[in-house]
Amino acid sequence: MRKRISALLMVVAAAVSLTACDATNAGSGETAENYPRRELDWTIAFGPGGGNDIMARTMVDLLKKNKLYPEDIRVENREGGSGATGWGYLFSRRGNPYAISTTSGSFITTPLQADTGWTYKDFTPVGLLATDNALFTVSASSRITSWQQWVEHAKRKGTVAVGGIGTINVDYILHAILAKQAGYKIDYVPFNEEGPLQTSLLSGALDAVVSNPAEIAGQVQARKMTGLLYTGKKPLGSLPDIPTGESLGYKDLPSMPRGLILPPKAPEFAQKWWIETMKKVVVTPEWKSYVAKNDLTEDVRWGADFSAYLEHTVTELERILREQGALK
Amino acid sequence: MDILSNLVNGIGQALSPTTLLLLGAGVLMGMIVGVMPGLGPSAALAILLPVTFGMEPGGAIVMLAAVYYGAMYGGTITSVLINTPGESATVASTFDGYPLAKQGRAGPALVMAAVASFVAGTVGTLLLSLAAPVTAAVATSFGPPELFLVVVAGLLALIVIVGKNRLLGAISALIGFALATVGIDIGGGEQRYTFGSTELINGIDFIPVAIGLFGVGEVLWTLYNGGHLERLQYFDVRARGSRFWPTARDWLESRWAMVRGSFLGFFVGCAPGAGATVASVMSYSVEKSVSKKPERFGKGAMPGLVGPEAANNAATSGAMVPLLTLGIPGSASTAVLLGGFLMWGLQPGPLLMEENPDFAWGLIGSMYLGNVMLLVLNVFCIPVFASIARVPFHVLAPIIIVLCVLGTYTVNGSIVEVGIMLACGVLGFFMRKFGFIPAATVVALVLGPMAEETLRQTLIISGGSFTIFAQRPASVSLLCAVGLLLLLPLITRAVRRRTSTAPVRSAPDDRIEV
Repeated sequence: MRKRISALLMVVAAAVSLTACDATNAGSGETAENYPRRELDWTIAFGPGGGNDIMARTMVDLLKKNKLYPEDIRVENREGGSGATGWGYLFSRRGNPYAISTTSGSFITTPLQADTGWTYKDFTPVGLLATDNALFTVSASSRITSWQQWVEHAKRKGTVAVGGIGTINVDYILHAILAKQAGYKIDYVPFNEEGPLQTSLLSGALDAVVSNPAEIAGQVQARKMTGLLYTGKKPLGSLPDIPTGESLGYKDLPSMPRGLILPPKAPEFAQKWWIETMKKVVVTPEWKSYVAKNDLTEDVRWGADFSAYLEHTVTELERILREQGALK
Repeated sequence: MDILSNLVNGIGQALSPTTLLLLGAGVLMGMIVGVMPGLGPSAALAILLPVTFGMEPGGAIVMLAAVYYGAMYGGTITSVLINTPGESATVASTFDGYPLAKQGRAGPALVMAAVASFVAGTVGTLLLSLAAPVTAAVATSFGPPELFLVVVAGLLALIVIVGKNRLLGAISALIGFALATVGIDIGGGEQRYTFGSTELINGIDFIPVAIGLFGVGEVLWTLYNGGHLERLQYFDVRARGSRFWPTARDWLESRWAMVRGSFLGFFVGCAPGAGATVASVMSYSVEKSVSKKPERFGKGAMPGLVGPEAANNAATSGAMVPLLTLGIPGSASTAVLLGGFLMWGLQPGPLLMEENPDFAWGLIGSMYLGNVMLLVLNVFCIPVFASIARVPFHVLAPIIIVLCVLGTYTVNGSIVEVGIMLACGVLGFFMRKFGFIPAATVVALVLGPMAEETLRQTLIISGGSFTIFAQRPASVSLLCAVGLLLLLPLITRAVRRRTSTAPVRSAPDDRIEV
């Protein structure tokens, strides 16, 4: 019995040292001159078919098609824990210039609601490429057609029931900011999924929702729902008539980052290389069409500017969630 | 008849040699993935979706529809043969499917399940073509109060599953509800019982629990009872011998279960968020309630397998109604399909069918052909699968355990879930030993979070008042339906008493309770 245990321990020890070697080797001998010269390990922190997955695969396609990355790119979906698993993996690749990942809203929100062991501050930023913004919609059967009418309706009703995805999420914050600045009261109803959220609005159970434009634009185009406000800086390409929050006098509506990050303490030459390379990617017509098709807002900020954007967004989110009592 | 011609066009579109090849390949791949414990349709779709990125949308959708059905049926195979459901929608198939296999009737059980799926697929496709606009209107009348009532209707099945074993049954269900509370609380955003683990913030998935309680638990139980010593008569199915085909009695017993399951499944499947799981569980309880021999349920009653199988398949067509007519995904699998739509450059929404009729009808047509292909392939494949049953248990048991571990790990790549699965295996063994009911635990775990989420949403909307259920027309009709379901066993008993000429007391086999 004892023999078996010690044999087992040896195997474990061997495995640990092997993985340790792997981690140190991958980063050694790399210089600004010879980078990149190895296979790239691309982590997608969510499952296939989701927004993050589509963005990552679009980028990888563009990198390959335009021959921007000379070696192979291995794409892996490391899903679980709302991104905690995938970004946790990237976090463990400390100093490695051959690990990379794409971000989305959960990159900010997951560390706020769970002890992930990392936050946005730990990673080496490459850049923000676009932002996810939200569309504020009401059901067409409500006959409300403008933001002004909505505010009047909400004030008349006293308290309105509004919906979005999750609690520790930008949807809640947007509702809270808009209601506070316009002067009406809300009951926020959180959902886990987009489908039930949309039917709840159509069924008249909710007065309004905020939602991802790519998922709800079809309802607006079919006149089942009416879009009243878009939280992006510029109007949506597919629905240009919907006013932006800024044009209605609402400043600082938060958005969610679609960006690219390297592991903590990644070498500076790798960060530089990726910034230069992504600058070439974001001007390709394919990337522009991806951004337009998925109703994202183009918002490009490199390196430290990306960090500043993240810090600003997270501080705002935290402040408002605390104000609302959702975070303690 | 414009609609039917659309359907025929859609099928015609899918009838080229290339697409038939894609269909066959899809069904087979789906079945192979689905046979892995824990991997059901949504996992199979997610795994195989990237394969279709390079294809044109028409071919891709044909293949995915085939994968979907293949995986669904693959899940049935494991439910019946090794008591391990591939996804929540096939949980109900284990209740009577596995006992049937234990009696050496794995062949007939799998054939009947395939036929039930085919019939339900046919009914579902026809309903989808004819009634989509009407059912879409029903789907848009569903808010949280209505969804809650649908889930409650599903939970009523607990009463049927538990039967006379009330105390231990209630405890079993409570274990499931307790497990369901783990994870981030949707209402307040706080963590419950995660002990700081990021692996648990999305809660305990039902998959490792079901695999552990049913699959591993059953293996341990059989070993405990000396199953490994027997020179297996256990699953005796000779390739297409006389005992391979279902008997006339099987058909007679379950033809109405098939029809009821198909319609029930389709309409429940239309409700976004409820879908195939609730449909199959509801169908099981309906079948047991209307059955003349409810005491045979759970011990290998054919209608108890056929009803849920028909229901979960028809629910698949039902879930296409909100997806195609409203652009709203009603289930995990349709959400993956929706992701596919975006990737192929289609805008999901109410205009999808109008703007891309060829695509939409091609999808419906290929779903139907997927069903046909499944039935054809299965007539060849079932003997192969059923022959697993001829493997002696001392060989089979380790293989099942390995498959259970592998399947659990593959779903999310999480070692914590493998631990949960193994722990539930041990729990499952002791539950069997002391007469608890693992099925009640799993049903409670699957439906509990849905019930909690929708009830809390309802109460936020109504400001804490329950009168909201009486204020919305759709929820009032659902309340009536729930009441009817509650009364159904009483009604059938009363009707039977009146119609049967013999006094109740003279039917001794009615009173044999185990």
